[in-house]
Amino acid sequence: MRPAPDTQLSRRGFLIATGSVVAASGLGLGPAAAQQPPAPPPVPGKERLIVRASRPINLEARLADLTAYHTPEEVFFVRNNYDVGPLDPAQWSLRIEGEVDNPVVLRLEDLRKLPAFTQDVTLECAGNGRSFHTPRASGIQWQHGAVGTQAFRGVRLADVLALARPRPTAQHVAFDGADKPPTAQAPDFIRSVPLWKAVSPPTMLALEMGGKPIPHLHGGPVRAIVPGFVGSASIKWLERILVRTDEFDGFYMKSNYTAPRVDNDKEIYSLQSLEVKSLIVGPTEGAKLAAGRLTIWGWAWAGEGELTGIDVSTDGGQTWTPGRFAGKWDRYSWRKFEHDWDARPGTHTLMARATDSLGRVQPASRAFNRLGYRWNVIHAVKVDVA
Amino acid sequence: MWRRSVGAVALVLVATGSAAVAPASAQEVPIPQTPGWELVLRCVICHSVEIAVQQRFGPQGWSETLDRMIKYGAPIPPEDRVQLMTYLLRHYRDPNGR
Repeated sequence: MRPAPDTQLSRRGFLIATGSVVAASGLGLGPAAAQQPPAPPPVPGKERLIVRASRPINLEARLADLTAYHTPEEVFFVRNNYDVGPLDPAQWSLRIEGEVDNPVVLRLEDLRKLPAFTQDVTLECAGNGRSFHTPRASGIQWQHGAVGTQAFRGVRLADVLALARPRPTAQHVAFDGADKPPTAQAPDFIRSVPLWKAVSPPTMLALEMGGKPIPHLHGGPVRAIVPGFVGSASIKWLERILVRTDEFDGFYMKSNYTAPRVDNDKEIYSLQSLEVKSLIVGPTEGAKLAAGRLTIWGWAWAGEGELTGIDVSTDGGQTWTPGRFAGKWDRYSWRKFEHDWDARPGTHTLMARATDSLGRVQPASRAFNRLGYRWNVIHAVKVDVA
Repeated sequence: MWRRSVGAVALVLVATGSAAVAPASAQEVPIPQTPGWELVLRCVICHSVEIAVQQRFGPQGWSETLDRMIKYGAPIPPEDRVQLMTYLLRHYRDPNGR
């Protein structure tokens, strides 16, 4: 064990170093729990992110930092269910098994032989916005910043799966990463997607993010990218694909990442598509503005849907005016929206409301759900104009 | 006075024998030192303490959470469970929560 680098903490009281120290101090945890997975390396360059948890690492962006279409790595959120140490690309392999006629083990060079493509994808944690639920929902208390967009380059999952020759009985594809729980009893983080989504051309195994090998914290050397689905579908540190006849039946499909059905709230379903959603980035909450013409802007996205409109209100939702989309976008990326506003002196509540091709509209409220998912309530920003 | 009543749990990660890790900035989370506070430190065997103390539940929510954690290997024997529940509900209760 190393001493804590921050001596101020020691002066303030006591210091608890997690992991082996506590496990060794007679608290009675079994051998499985004592075998901590190696913690990730220090993360220089992530200092701008808000630490929601340090183990596993969970970091979110400040909304004011989400100004670029491609979210810079240093402000791209990190959501880990479990941590894992850095993986050596030379040692990396991917096993495909289950409902296939030709189980295979692939290495990076096998993936590199397949046709590669690049796409911009917006990833959002299913629990983004959880902290706005009342009462408090269970889980990491994300505000707005567990979302980001990057260019991912990789190969089509359909091409990879074809190498293993899925059987006609195959209906779901489960992803398993190298991140493992700290005890033998805790559930492995495995999630599945339906076969239709797995073989959809945009669904990829990504090797690059922003033109570089995928950084360790973002799932390198290879992660799944399931565009349009909640972020947890895009399993990081991928090392095993399990082709199945049914949806994977583990905790992270049947308990976590589930929400009550809209048509029958006694039943739950495993989350798939992201919601239709928008966030106002500028002006920021509490901004003091000079009267005159200015542009309200932000990002909108719609998961499996396609954006069909963005409405903006400058009077707290009493009246709405169509905004416009501007700039670069991709099928599964967010789109920048803008709305010109003649700001008059006073206090104003700005709002944005996106709509999509699935007929979805951002709601004014969201019924509480225990795990705090589906937060896409219309974002309101209060500003003062002088 | 308030500062005296809290302990600071350093969110400094110590891997088993390898490098210490402080993602972004090392932080500290105040843990009020009322009866039962030591039991919270058992949570940090598997996850940093702020995972626990950012939650707010009512009795049912905390009870279910504790049961799940015990099932996953948290070293909280039955004789400590009541005290830990009391502690969590004292400091991390949502009056409107389950």
